Amino acid sequence: MSLEVFVLVIAFANIAVVLEFVRRRKLAESFALLWSCVAVGGILLVLLRPLIDRFSHFVGVEEGTSVLFALGILFLIVVSMYLSVHITALEDKVEALAEDLAMVKGVRNPPSDAAPPSEDVHQ
Amino acid sequence: MWSHPRRNNPAALVFAGYMEPLRRSDVLVLVPALNEEATVAAVVAGARARLDCDVLVINDGSSDRTTDVALAAGAMVIEHPFNLGVGAAIRTGLRVAASQRRPYVLQLDADGQHEPAEAQRLLDRVQSGDADLVVGSRFQAGYRVSKVRGAMMSALSRVISKRVGVEVDDTTSGFRAFGPKAIALFARYYPTVYLSDTVEALLLASDADLRVEVVPVQMHERQGGEPSSRRLRSALQLTRLWLVILMHPVRRPPIQRGVPDVA
Repeated sequence: MSLEVFVLVIAFANIAVVLEFVRRRKLAESFALLWSCVAVGGILLVLLRPLIDRFSHFVGVEEGTSVLFALGILFLIVVSMYLSVHITALEDKVEALAEDLAMVKGVRNPPSDAAPPSEDVHQ
Repeated sequence: MWSHPRRNNPAALVFAGYMEPLRRSDVLVLVPALNEEATVAAVVAGARARLDCDVLVINDGSSDRTTDVALAAGAMVIEHPFNLGVGAAIRTGLRVAASQRRPYVLQLDADGQHEPAEAQRLLDRVQSGDADLVVGSRFQAGYRVSKVRGAMMSALSRVISKRVGVEVDDTTSGFRAFGPKAIALFARYYPTVYLSDTVEALLLASDADLRVEVVPVQMHERQGGEPSSRRLRSALQLTRLWLVILMHPVRRPPIQRGVPDVA
């Protein structure tokens, strides 16, 4: 029973933190939705515990918690892959912007008193 | 339909610095530089004296006085706001060359590895119209590397040569000359991650039916600066490069991001 209470507390704290981040404008709404879904999922898991035990029995796993761990890890892998794709797109954009900024700022020409091209070269 | 004002208004392009009116030589020498204040002046002076053409130093986010030193040595300078890598520096340089309507580009390292006197032999091949992309090879002139590195480079060479249809023994050489077709192609897209900027660029050139050539050149030891990678890092970079090479035939062609330049 205490485990269920623990999970519920974590889930609600998760939602609170997510909403606080949204309030401070530190988290995009789409990500807020993702992590709220995680919290809601946690609450559902507590409420539907018997269902999970039946499911794990069905796929041939003794412990319901093992199935939960496996699904949790799978979920985290999917999320971090999504984030990697997201970061790749952001990197591409930053690079394009930085290059465009360089072009917009333009080429600096050498001052008129710069060294003439005939200067003796010592290698 | 809504359109970007800068794309359709040539005057706005001039105003934004996309077209530089100043232009002397047909050849533009590109020198990508990251914290090379110790060597960049000699490289610029050498290129200007031996090739008699304009030099553009692309300051790729240096924290030292690279820009001032290069300007004083008589180079033009364009600056990235932060470090983006050699490939991005080359692409910026090629964009400048294209916007200044320069038909030929020579890429030279800022650390003094490349001998400007050798550069004319690379340029001759693109200026005669016989090649679109010329790679200066260090090997035929007795360039020595460690055994491991040599094995890696010969494996790369075998795969790349087969794909490109030309024997390229020194695939990672950054001593290159670009003709008009290569400038137009790579001003739109140039691979920016280390090693891709040299090796993957060969595959992209071959995809676009550019004529690639290899010319043996003499090389100096690095005059200054750190060698660009450590052992674990180079292992990771090399693994990444093989992924790029193996995936290349089935990958979607790269798309251009950012504001397209004129023409």
